[in-house]
Amino acid sequence: MIPAAFPPWTRAETLGASMPEFARFQDEPLQMRSGTVGKTGFLRLGLEHRCGQTILAKLERRSPYMVQRALHCDEAMPGLAYVFLITTTGCVLQGDRLALDITLGPHAQAHLTSQSATKIHAMDANYAAQSQSITLADHAYLEFLPDPVIPHRHSRFLSDTQITIAPSATLLLSEIVQPGRKHHHPDERFGATVLSISNSAVRPDGRVLFAEKLVIEPQRYAMRQTGVMDSFDVFANVILCAPKDKAERIHERAGAEVKLTEGLAFGACRLPNDAGLIFKVLGRETAQVKAKVREFWGIVRKEVVGHPLPPPYLWR
Amino acid sequence: MLQFGDSMFPIGAFSFSSGLESAVQKGVVTNVATLRAFARTAVEQAARGDGIALIAAHRAATAGDVGTLTRIDAQVYARKLSDETRTMSIRMGKKFTEMGVEMVGAPLLYTWRERIESSATPGCYPIALAISFAVQNLPACQAFVVHQYGVATTILGAALRLMKVSHIETQKILYELTGQTEEMYATAAAARLSDMAAFAPLTEILAAVHTRAHVRLFMN
Repeated sequence: MIPAAFPPWTRAETLGASMPEFARFQDEPLQMRSGTVGKTGFLRLGLEHRCGQTILAKLERRSPYMVQRALHCDEAMPGLAYVFLITTTGCVLQGDRLALDITLGPHAQAHLTSQSATKIHAMDANYAAQSQSITLADHAYLEFLPDPVIPHRHSRFLSDTQITIAPSATLLLSEIVQPGRKHHHPDERFGATVLSISNSAVRPDGRVLFAEKLVIEPQRYAMRQTGVMDSFDVFANVILCAPKDKAERIHERAGAEVKLTEGLAFGACRLPNDAGLIFKVLGRETAQVKAKVREFWGIVRKEVVGHPLPPPYLWR
Repeated sequence: MLQFGDSMFPIGAFSFSSGLESAVQKGVVTNVATLRAFARTAVEQAARGDGIALIAAHRAATAGDVGTLTRIDAQVYARKLSDETRTMSIRMGKKFTEMGVEMVGAPLLYTWRERIESSATPGCYPIALAISFAVQNLPACQAFVVHQYGVATTILGAALRLMKVSHIETQKILYELTGQTEEMYATAAAARLSDMAAFAPLTEILAAVHTRAHVRLFMN
């Protein structure tokens, strides 16, 4: 743990210094240096259950991250706090450090999403890093489903998510990664230099549940290789931490299939230590992958809280 | 070293296909070229993940540090995100430890077997392999070679039974893949345990498909 003498975004600022995949990218941008005001965003959200609905009880923010207010717009779940994460810069640039700290109190229920895709711009110095901490108390329920990440050519991005979850709580966390702006430029398909995505989860007593670190370095390891991305372009990594009985029912319904002709593959596996499930999707187009993630989200919501999904927005 | 790395060594590697069975059924692996690429993915993933843990465990075993070995074992287990890869690792790890106790009989092997049997540690394969080599004063690089060789031969052995491929072709692939082990060892030996990484989403989806398959020849 980081002592209180350091700002809460210290982890986002220090993570990349020791990771071997970022060793080559420690130089500072010619523009604003990493970690300066406007480049280090911080957001702390404390969601709590009060009088039948979940409210945003705590909010600390530092630009470019911001949140306005929690909406209660889901008709099937009027108590559910719907929160949009906003970044005022519109994209992630070299030297950016983003820190997100989400806490859900007992019985709190929330849906967290972004306003649009996260575009990570091309880089010629340094890298961008994002550190996320998610803490769920007993019977808390969080859907964290941001729009896809679009890594542009020569981008370098680090994402590290640490989850602390009570055995009775549920977390659905999705990350969709596009190969780049695939119709923009032929080099843009898997044109990123490094994408390093770590997710790990523990129980409140510190017991390790699972960990994964996905390192995508297309110049070192071929993306088109059999067993890796093959002929697919878009990848979704969906983590579900849920009580064992619910996870089992969801696993039963989620299915697994590889359809090369349709350009879609998906499947759920049971995580170690009865942590829940991991659902992976590969597709040729983002829409296919999003639809599959939405289908899984629908199963999770039905099995865990017993409600259907709201109809999809036309523009999402 | 040859004996421990032999596919005849009775730890049950022959009953696993490491996802190849589903890959063949789903048309992902169809010929020699795709088999070579599939096996290469597995070998690369092993070097970036389990291989790092193997070297760290060898260091801990040489120092006789059971606490560190247990922590490494927990980290390896936490990174096995499908039932079948977990089953494969702990089954082979347990068998390997038992064989080590019978053949070498070093005190650390007895301790480790006792910890596995009492469920104090899951007992993943790379840790068992590292302990057996360390107590015999065999270097970590040899354990690494045996580990990588095992990953490749498991898939290639299964390929002979699952698809139309000749012994000559599988041996050519094996020769090509083992040629890269030295370079992979240098990278893995310089990495920390927290640097264990992976990226093979289709292989993971194939593992999920296999769990649900009605007809199965192999355990994964």
